Amino acid sequence: MSERTLSGTGVTPLSGVGTVVWYDQDVELDEPPAPEDVDTAAEQARFENAVATAREELQTERERTAEKVGESEAEIFDAHLQFLNDPQITDAVEESIDEGLPAEHATREGFQQGIEQLAAAGGRMAERTDDLRDIRDRLVRILADAERIDLSALPEGTVLLAEMLTPSDTAQLDPETVAGFATAEGGRTSHAAIFARSIGIPAVVGVGDDLLGVEADETVVVDGEAGDVIVDPSAETRERASERRDVEIRSDRVETADGKEIEVAANVGTLAELEGAVAQGADAIGLFRTEFLFLDREAPPDEDEQVDTYVEALDAFPEGRVVVRTLDVGGDKPIPYIEADEEDNPFLGMRGIRRSLGPDAELFETQIRALLRAGAVGDGDLAVMFPLVATVGEVEQALDVVEDVAGDLESEGVDYAMPELGVMIETPAAVFVGDALAERLDFFSIGTNDLAQYVMAASRQNEHVADLHDPSDPAVLRAIDRAVEAAHDGDIWIGMCGEMAGDPDLTELLIGLGLDELSMSAVTIPDVKANVVDVSTADARTLAETALRAATKDEVRAALSEET
Amino acid sequence: MMERTVTIVPEAGLHARPASKFVETANQFEAELQIATEDEEPVNARSMLGVSSLGVEHGEEVRLIADGDDAEAALDALEKVLTTPESEYDE
Repeated sequence: MSERTLSGTGVTPLSGVGTVVWYDQDVELDEPPAPEDVDTAAEQARFENAVATAREELQTERERTAEKVGESEAEIFDAHLQFLNDPQITDAVEESIDEGLPAEHATREGFQQGIEQLAAAGGRMAERTDDLRDIRDRLVRILADAERIDLSALPEGTVLLAEMLTPSDTAQLDPETVAGFATAEGGRTSHAAIFARSIGIPAVVGVGDDLLGVEADETVVVDGEAGDVIVDPSAETRERASERRDVEIRSDRVETADGKEIEVAANVGTLAELEGAVAQGADAIGLFRTEFLFLDREAPPDEDEQVDTYVEALDAFPEGRVVVRTLDVGGDKPIPYIEADEEDNPFLGMRGIRRSLGPDAELFETQIRALLRAGAVGDGDLAVMFPLVATVGEVEQALDVVEDVAGDLESEGVDYAMPELGVMIETPAAVFVGDALAERLDFFSIGTNDLAQYVMAASRQNEHVADLHDPSDPAVLRAIDRAVEAAHDGDIWIGMCGEMAGDPDLTELLIGLGLDELSMSAVTIPDVKANVVDVSTADARTLAETALRAATKDEVRAALSEET
Repeated sequence: MMERTVTIVPEAGLHARPASKFVETANQFEAELQIATEDEEPVNARSMLGVSSLGVEHGEEVRLIADGDDAEAALDALEKVLTTPESEYDE
C-alpha cells in the first residue's frame, strides 16, 4: 500500500500524524410510523423539550466561543437562537406533528420549508440556510437521542475529519490531544481555520469530497504547511510529521547572545488572530492585513467601524507596535463594491497603493482617517504602511493624503495621532530607490513573498516555476541586503513580514542581514524567539556575508548547513 | 388594529443586524405584530425567517400592523428600529 495525498488549503504551518475520527452530525431516521399511531400531544411535548435543550446548548457554546475565540465569532449563535425561536418555523413543525409525524420527522419537514424559503430569497439570505441546517440537525440529534462525539475528550493522537466544523466545535478541541484536523469545506478565513491558527493545531481545510473517502481509524498526516492530507503515510512521512515541537513560549522581548534586541512580531489577518498572537508571545503586530474588513460584504466598512477594529488591535498590544497595512487588493481578489477590470497580469497591474491613489482614493482616505483617529485612542503604538510601492512619487502622494486628512481632523476638532509611516519593500524598484524612500519615511517592512516573485519573475501560484520563487536565492538576499542598507543609512528601522521571517532555519541569516524586526505567523514565534537568543551578531554577519557572496542557491544552502 | 408605514433607514436594509434587532424588539411586546411590503403578504414580525425573506432594502417602505393592548408602544419601538442608522445602535 502506498501513501495517497489529498490537497486542500493549509492553515497552520504545522504537521501532525494521528488516527482518523470522523465527526458526523447526520442522524439516520427510521421510516415514520402511520399517522394514527402517533401520540400528537406527546410529540408536541418532545419537540418543546428539544427546543429548550437546544437553547441551553447554544447558550453554553456561545459563552465558550466568546471566551476562547472571540465575541464576533460568538455572534453566529445569536442568529441560531433567533431561528430556534422563530414562530414561522415552530408553527410549521407543530403543524406537521398535528398531521401525524413524530417530532424528529416533523422537525426535518418544518425546517425544510424555511430553508427553501431562504434559498429562494437569494443573495445574502441564501447563506443563512446553513444556520437553519445547523439548528435542524441539532434538534434532530437531540430528539433522536443520538450520541454526539465529545470533541473536548478525543483520544490522544486523533486527527479529526469533518465536512465542516463550526466555531463551537473548534473551540472544544484540545491542542494537547488533537494531532490535527481536516475539513472538506472551508477556506483560510473560515472560523475553523482562524481558530486552528490561534491555538496552533495542524489543519487543512477545503479538501473537497475526496476527504469523505478516508475511513475512520486510518492513519493520516495533516500537513498544514503544504495543505495536504496524506493517507497511509510511509514511515518516513510519518516521522517527519510527528516531530513535535517542544519549545517554550516566551512573552518577553528577546535579544541575541551579545545583546541586540530583535522584535519578534505576528502577522494577522483578522481580529480573532490577535489572541493567538498574544498567546504565542508576540512582541507586536508586524503586519495587520486589513482586507478582512472589506471582503465578503456588500458595502465598504464605514469610518467608525474601522476605528473600532484598529483600536481593538492596538489595545491587544498595549506595550507594542501594531503595523497596519492599508488595503491591498487587485484584480485577483474581487470585492463587490470595488470596480476592478480583469487583467491579463494582475500582479503587474492595478493593485496595492496604485489603487489607493487611483480608483479607490475615497476608500483610502476613509481608511487613513480611521487610522489616525484610532491612533489617538488605542493603547499600543500605531504604524501604517503602504503596499506595493514602486516610486518616490507614490510615497509623496500617499503622505500628502495623510497630511490632508490630519488637517481635516484638526480643523474638525477630532482627536487624532500621527502614526509611524512606512512602506512594504516588495518591488525591485523600491529596493533601488530605498535611499530616497528612507528619507521620507519612518520604517520599511520587506514582504519576501512578493519581493521574491518580482525579483525572480516567478509567480507564487505557478508550480512549474515554484523552484525559482525562493527568498533564499542569492538575488533575493542581495535585494534584502540593499534594502537594509538603505534603511540603516537613513536611520530608520526595517523589518520583514514575509514567510521567510518565520522560518526558524533562517533566523541567524536574517539577523546577520541586519533586520530589526521579524514578523510571522503566530505559531512560529516561539521557535524564532528560541533561536534569536542563541545568535551572536558577529557570527551571523559572517554567515550573511558568505550567503551574499554565493553565486547559487546551493551555495547559500551550503553556508546555512555549515552553521548548524 | 393599527397600521403604520415606515421607510427603512439602515444601509444594510432589513438584513443581518437590523433584522435581528427588529425581531428582538417585536418579542418584547404582547400585541400581534406583522410586517408587510407592497407586493408580499404580511409576515409575523417575530419571525427572523419571515422578516429576512422579505428582502427589504434601504429606502424601501414597509407597513407595520399591530393588534393588541400595547399595539401603539410596539409600533413606536419597531419604527424606531427601522429609522435608526446601524451606526447608532447601542452595543
